[in-house]
Amino acid sequence: MTITVRALTKRYARATVLDAVDLDLAPGITGVLGPNGAGKTTLLRCLATTLAPDSGRIRAFGLDPADPAQRTAYRRRLGYLAQNPGAYPHFTAFEMVEYIAILKEMTDQVARRREVRRVLAEVDLGDRSRTKVRKLSGGMRQRLALAQALLGAPDLVVLDEPTVGLDPEQRMRFRALLSRLGAERTVLLSTHQTEDVAALCERVVVMRAGGVAFQGTPADLAAFADGQVWLSAVPPSSVLSWRTADGRHRSLGPRPDGGEAAEPTIEDGYLLLLGDRAAVA
Amino acid sequence: MTWHPQMTWHLPAGLAAQYARGETAVALTLSIEAHLMKCRPCREAVPYEMGWIEQSWAGIEDLIDRPRRGVAERVLTMVGVPGHVARLLVATPTLSRAWMAAVTVVLAFAVAAARLTEGIGESAQAGAVLPFLVAAPLLPVAGVALAYGRWADPVHESLAATPLAGVPLLLLRAGAALATAVALTGVATALFPASLGLTAAWLLPSLALTAGTLALSTWLPSVAAAALLGGAWVSALLLLNGQSLVFGPLAQILYGLAAPALALLAVFRHRRSEGYR
Repeated sequence: MTITVRALTKRYARATVLDAVDLDLAPGITGVLGPNGAGKTTLLRCLATTLAPDSGRIRAFGLDPADPAQRTAYRRRLGYLAQNPGAYPHFTAFEMVEYIAILKEMTDQVARRREVRRVLAEVDLGDRSRTKVRKLSGGMRQRLALAQALLGAPDLVVLDEPTVGLDPEQRMRFRALLSRLGAERTVLLSTHQTEDVAALCERVVVMRAGGVAFQGTPADLAAFADGQVWLSAVPPSSVLSWRTADGRHRSLGPRPDGGEAAEPTIEDGYLLLLGDRAAVA
Repeated sequence: MTWHPQMTWHLPAGLAAQYARGETAVALTLSIEAHLMKCRPCREAVPYEMGWIEQSWAGIEDLIDRPRRGVAERVLTMVGVPGHVARLLVATPTLSRAWMAAVTVVLAFAVAAARLTEGIGESAQAGAVLPFLVAAPLLPVAGVALAYGRWADPVHESLAATPLAGVPLLLLRAGAALATAVALTGVATALFPASLGLTAAWLLPSLALTAGTLALSTWLPSVAAAALLGGAWVSALLLLNGQSLVFGPLAQILYGLAAPALALLAVFRHRRSEGYR
């Protein structure tokens, strides 16, 4: 495994946000699903070294980021897209990415600018390089933040809800970009979009109340709902049910009256795994 | 660019090669280039060096994208600060126009008050200097507190995951904030009507309080550290009821000793700190 997480714990006052999380990450894309407050962002922030865990350990590429002496070496191999990445509004798109490139120790001016142009082109912002950040749309700012995470071809890419604010076309382009990344690197992707996980991820982790509720392949997660997904003409009493486009009702759980078995999806497995938590998330 | 199929002449192969090597005279070069603009067969026949073209194109792209440097950044690079360090320094949140304007206004008021009391009497003038001496050390403290951290920098979460995050960037930005505050206060000092010895008495307390803020910020958020030390500073002045004890020779010696000791403690503590920054 490239990265191992053992008994990672984080508390805020009386709330345990991460509760002894164990995780193994290999090269490829791993999706992290979970309702709000499940601990996804806290886990990603610990891996991105922007938040110190209270206990537990992370080992990546033979490095321990908790050790100040090894943290810089770890960060050299890291790309991070934060949930709220922020930006200096008076900078241009080029200046913003270049600023992060400098913080990533790219001191050679010519090579640095070449790398900035490369990542801006990767996220389709090459023609916006001279536009001020304050004039960019929300989706463009998200892509700008993604460009920063791609600087220097990092070995570990941590992306916290990267598809927020992207339109369907941009999401398709993002998936293509991410699948290229995942072919060579370890990518950890937190998202609320089960379809992103189905389309991209080799592995999926479902978090619930600070712990790992599931860890496996997307097919395993879908299989969790085997024999528990139904289509019926009349509304069932199940909490986890909804009306589909063809007028029938899809429900999860016990078979409703007149229910026909349906092919389970990742979303079905995820909803069943989380039960009522998913229904209120 | 339009190709005119009725072109009546084309570049001879020898001339095309000469042009590609850059060996043609200026007038002839201009004529050839005017022709190449209109004639695709000739453009395709010129034996360009792809390496040269790619290098030139990269140079043009670099020229187009090159960020326009502000005055502060240009001055820093002129005095020998490496370009990438200058870029980091000018993006220090503390050095925003709003903070600089606030510092300038505070100092301008202090100088104006002292100037207005000029000639009224020594005690009145000393009374006008005191607010300046109290406020001046707080300016770099506030600047340092707001130079680094998630409460001050909208990009902190992103930059905290980079190799230069933590001590290197904190010290760089704190240094920039301190230098700016000291330079502006220094200018104000020179404008004071009172003696330089009296009006410059803020310098060592400034350095000691700033280093103390940096050291204390390894235990507390830097804004809280600055508020605590700033509060202690003002309280000490109020309790001791006067400037002779707080700004006297003995106190200055103590500030002079405390400043480097606290700076060393700050660096030591930040380097050992287990908390990520």
